[in-house]
Amino acid sequence: MKRLAISVSALLFTMVGVAAADDPIVVRQSLMQAAAASAATSAGMMKGEIEYNPTVAKAAIATLYGVSQAYGDYFPEGTQEGDSDASPRIWEDMEGFQQAIADFQTDTAAAVQAAGEDGPADLAAFQQAIQPVLSNCKDCHEDFRIQDN
Amino acid sequence: MLRKSLYVIVALVVAAGAAFWLLTQPERLDGSALAAAGPGDPDRGERVFWAGGCASCHARPDAEDDALLELAGGRALETDFGTFIAPNISPDPEHGIGDWSEADFANAMMRGVSPEGEHYYPAFPYSSYARMDEQDVADLFVYLNALPPVAEAAPANELSFPYNIRRGIGLWKLLYMHDQPVVDLPADAPEEVLRGRYLVEGPGHCGECHTPRNFMGGQNFDRWLAGAPMMEGEGSAPDITPSEDGLGSWSAGDIAYYLESGFTPDFDVVGGAMADVQRNMARLPDEDRRAIAAYLKAIPAAN
Ligand code: HEC
Ligand code: HEC
Ligand code: HEC
Repeated sequence: MKRLAISVSALLFTMVGVAAADDPIVVRQSLMQAAAASAATSAGMMKGEIEYNPTVAKAAIATLYGVSQAYGDYFPEGTQEGDSDASPRIWEDMEGFQQAIADFQTDTAAAVQAAGEDGPADLAAFQQAIQPVLSNCKDCHEDFRIQDN
Repeated sequence: MLRKSLYVIVALVVAAGAAFWLLTQPERLDGSALAAAGPGDPDRGERVFWAGGCASCHARPDAEDDALLELAGGRALETDFGTFIAPNISPDPEHGIGDWSEADFANAMMRGVSPEGEHYYPAFPYSSYARMDEQDVADLFVYLNALPPVAEAAPANELSFPYNIRRGIGLWKLLYMHDQPVVDLPADAPEEVLRGRYLVEGPGHCGECHTPRNFMGGQNFDRWLAGAPMMEGEGSAPDITPSEDGLGSWSAGDIAYYLESGFTPDFDVVGGAMADVQRNMARLPDEDRRAIAAYLKAIPAAN
């Protein structure tokens, strides 16, 4: 229960943080932190570390949906420099990057649909809805994110 | 850096003359080691195939799922030395390796020598595969031979002088290639850690990206797995020793879960060149991922 509370508050905090910032790099990284918090909550339930709860499941899906809608707006020209792990490929192949965002949006929209009013009825239904969403993370990071440390 | 290495290699080639010729003689495997391996088992070979990540280079670029098993080649590896193109290794007799013997295959994998007796470029990570078990190589060969043949030729490498002289690789091998374990472990080290060492240092070829190299592309074994800029593409492969900047704060379970799912302990997600490696690792039995994790926690921390 404690873990659950932490995960949910992490979701809310990151969303609030996003609204306050006006640096596109900070905003897009905060959006990703919100995505990570949702992924953590989702994986926690799938691994049985957090008890399955349809409302929390719905919140995780809704957050990912929100991230997918907003994310593409924070990559203006010139923001490949700075404290960012965004790959230069985003600006070399903006069409491909926008396609990756569109795929992310399609999959999160389908998950919202599947979640319905009350959230996915059980863990199996949730798993089926969230897996396609989570596969977007790796696909996009493979092509458009570069870690340098 | 490119110019400097060019001069050094040219100087070596010119000055060494006959000695060069003798030293760079491609060396084949001892036949008796091969004979000791039993007949190959394709099921075990499949496990070796994913541990070795062959499809990441030899499947067509961007292949997924079943297409990963069509080893048509064609993937370009762009490095400071030129562009290497992975060849067709499907069982097609004309364009692939369908007419190779097991000895031909073992010499390619463990010595980097072709059936014609020429050196391969170390872009093919045989300097790691050299640490593989003969039996695993025999199993892999049987598995590869049962995959679909692809009758198409992959383009040739695009290399300029002096890197287009295969003979010169003999010197590189003398300096930088050895088939002994990199990390010394006590004789009574747990079985799991020893298995992890085999997987990481041999078939898994993790050091090819995670260990820094000198200007001639030789691995700096003193900085084993300490993190390095990528030879091909951008960014870097991070320190994966148990140091503070590396995996110090990750538990063995965290490492195994990352290799299975792609999620870090902070629920960041694998990307770049590691995404393919992780997909391959996800196909291994859990005990192999746990063995890799145990080894990565047991090795000395980089500083
Ligand atoms: C459409 C592309 C795309 C998708 C989909 C995507 N990411 Fe990202 N992600 C990026 C990029 C690009 C960056 C680097 C942003 C930067 O540093 O400017 C990043 C960075 C991150 C970071 C680091 C943020 C920071 O603080 O620096 C985390 C964590 C993360 N992503 C998690 C996720 C998770 C979890 C998912 C799936 C639910 C996901 N991402 C899906 C493109 C994507
Ligand atoms: C990092 C990329 C990479 C990986 C991973 C890789 N290879 Fe290769 N491989 C190459 C390149 C590049 C060459 C060509 C080298 C040359 O031209 O000298 C090659 C050559 C070969 C050859 C010689 C083919 C011929 O026609 O002469 C064989 C056999 C082979 N690889 C098998 C494998 C197997 C089996 C695996 C997995 C255990 C594997 N490779 C993994 C890049 C790779
Ligand atoms: C083709 C190059 C390549 C090979 C081979 C490779 N890695 Fe990586 N590895 C990377 C890159 C690049 C990253 C950074 C990933 C990212 O950007 O998300 C990475 C990241 C990692 C991480 C996460 C570290 C962190 O701090 O986030 C681990 C753990 C890891 N690799 C383990 C391995 C193991 C174990 C092997 C061998 C089975 C291996 N790698 C082979 C390139 C490689």
